[in-house]
Amino acid sequence: MASKHGAPPTTYSPSPTRKPHQPVFSDSDADWVRPDGRGFHQCRPAFFRTAAVSAASGSAYAEFGNTKVIVSVFGPRESKKAMMYSDVGRLNCNVTYTTFATPIRGQGSDHKEFSSMLHKALEGAIMLETFPKTTVDVFALVLESGGSDLPVVVSCASLALADAGIMMYDLVAGVSVSCLGKNLVIDPILEEESCQDGSLMITCMPSRYEVSQLTVTGEWSTGNLNEAMQLCLDACSKLAKIMRSCLKEAASASHS
Amino acid sequence: MGLPSDSGDLSSEMDVDAYRRLFPTHFYEKHLSLSIRPDSRPLGKARDTTLALGAVGSVDGSALAKIGSTTMLAAIKMEVMTPCTESPNEGSIVIEFHMPPICSPIVRPGRPAEAAPVLSKQLSDTILSSGMINLKELCLIHGKAAWMAYLDIYCLDADGALFDAALLSAIGAFSHLQIPTVSLTDNGKIVVLLDEDESRKLGKEPVNSGKKKLTINNIPFSLTCILYKNYILADPTAEEESIMETLVTVVLDSSARLVSFYKPGGPVLAYMSAIQDCVALTRQRVKELQKILDEAVSGMEVD
Repeated sequence: MASKHGAPPTTYSPSPTRKPHQPVFSDSDADWVRPDGRGFHQCRPAFFRTAAVSAASGSAYAEFGNTKVIVSVFGPRESKKAMMYSDVGRLNCNVTYTTFATPIRGQGSDHKEFSSMLHKALEGAIMLETFPKTTVDVFALVLESGGSDLPVVVSCASLALADAGIMMYDLVAGVSVSCLGKNLVIDPILEEESCQDGSLMITCMPSRYEVSQLTVTGEWSTGNLNEAMQLCLDACSKLAKIMRSCLKEAASASHS
Repeated sequence: MGLPSDSGDLSSEMDVDAYRRLFPTHFYEKHLSLSIRPDSRPLGKARDTTLALGAVGSVDGSALAKIGSTTMLAAIKMEVMTPCTESPNEGSIVIEFHMPPICSPIVRPGRPAEAAPVLSKQLSDTILSSGMINLKELCLIHGKAAWMAYLDIYCLDADGALFDAALLSAIGAFSHLQIPTVSLTDNGKIVVLLDEDESRKLGKEPVNSGKKKLTINNIPFSLTCILYKNYILADPTAEEESIMETLVTVVLDSSARLVSFYKPGGPVLAYMSAIQDCVALTRQRVKELQKILDEAVSGMEVD
């Protein structure tokens, strides 16, 4: 046992270190294929299931390739004692990674900003006035990080909120696009994200055609940016259809 | 309406769910007197149990165990360390049990559950003292390099009997563990060999070829029981644990030897006969769990 001898010994992962920022393809080779063989504008197959955690008021599990996420929703329940009076409900979000989510153990804690980004992506979709003075907690755990983690968390969280019966204007679907050289790849995996030139993420309510969050980082040309936004919006509305059918299935299964 | 003792009269007048919440002890006592539990189990029966190996892709070994709704995900990552001077030919195992906020309404972010470190310790003690893993098998180069196995167990859904589910998932993860083939680089680092034949040509000999799996002896299996008055309830749910607080966990190995025994206090003081009954229930449960593990392992070999 390590603890017997005081401080645990330092360890290192024996996995070979990746070559630093080797571009996936140069502009010349146009016949480049994505590592998982997808088309540039093709998303990974999405799998959703509601009621994954029995202890929660509502929950959902999402799997996009190697990205696997569980979101639990608790409440509406009493707000923390220190909170000021509020006549609209509060939303409290938290995103954590398992220690084995990333290829090197314990690197998942780098994404401290995800909790607040999840909060901002969902806030506009929830009818906060339906649960005054109370708090709804949305907790996400990334079991495995396979790229496009945040958009998957957002979609999964909105499904968990629906499962918990929290009133919303619409489901929120999230999709991201990476810019690699001149090409745009939708729903990037970890490998593609690590060598992207720019990234764009949209979370939106497709039935209302409203965007709840839009983040753009890196280098973009105006043309690419417009194309990427359109790609994301189209993918979001398709994703929302899958999410809706998951909810319908769950509802019809519980009735019969 | 008066004191809770008057509630006997109310049971016929009010909604069952309301009665369950308002008078939980009476609700349970009514069931127990008929030798049945609210989820229609007899007192000594555990919930349906499943074990799936290889649930996580990015690790060296993993398993998902479910006992009723209680769900545990265990994953092992192998890293390399320099063994300490006292035991130059032994590797090491570090076991951590996590209760993320998703698993239960009582866990909040930033305020870790009290139960988590307790279970971490119990799991380490049980796994390391059972002799299930021979630490000498984790040695790579005598005195120079050895494996450190990081076992992380995540509770995904907490509905009672957490220790039993966590231990089952840990055993599943060790059964599924594939130790990577590694070689020694010129600067003394251990690196995973991606393609064995390719690297042989380059003159890189693997350090540990042919030892892909650990031998697992004396597998420990556990059963948690609740003691309440004269009743013994096997494999409690979270609701049962919150109402009747005296827990007893018995760990036996595959040849029915006692590995560990936990009775962390509680309002009920146990008689020897109750302890013997718990051990007897555990002995039956070990057979069930052994079968579940065997099926999971053989299912994996077919793939």
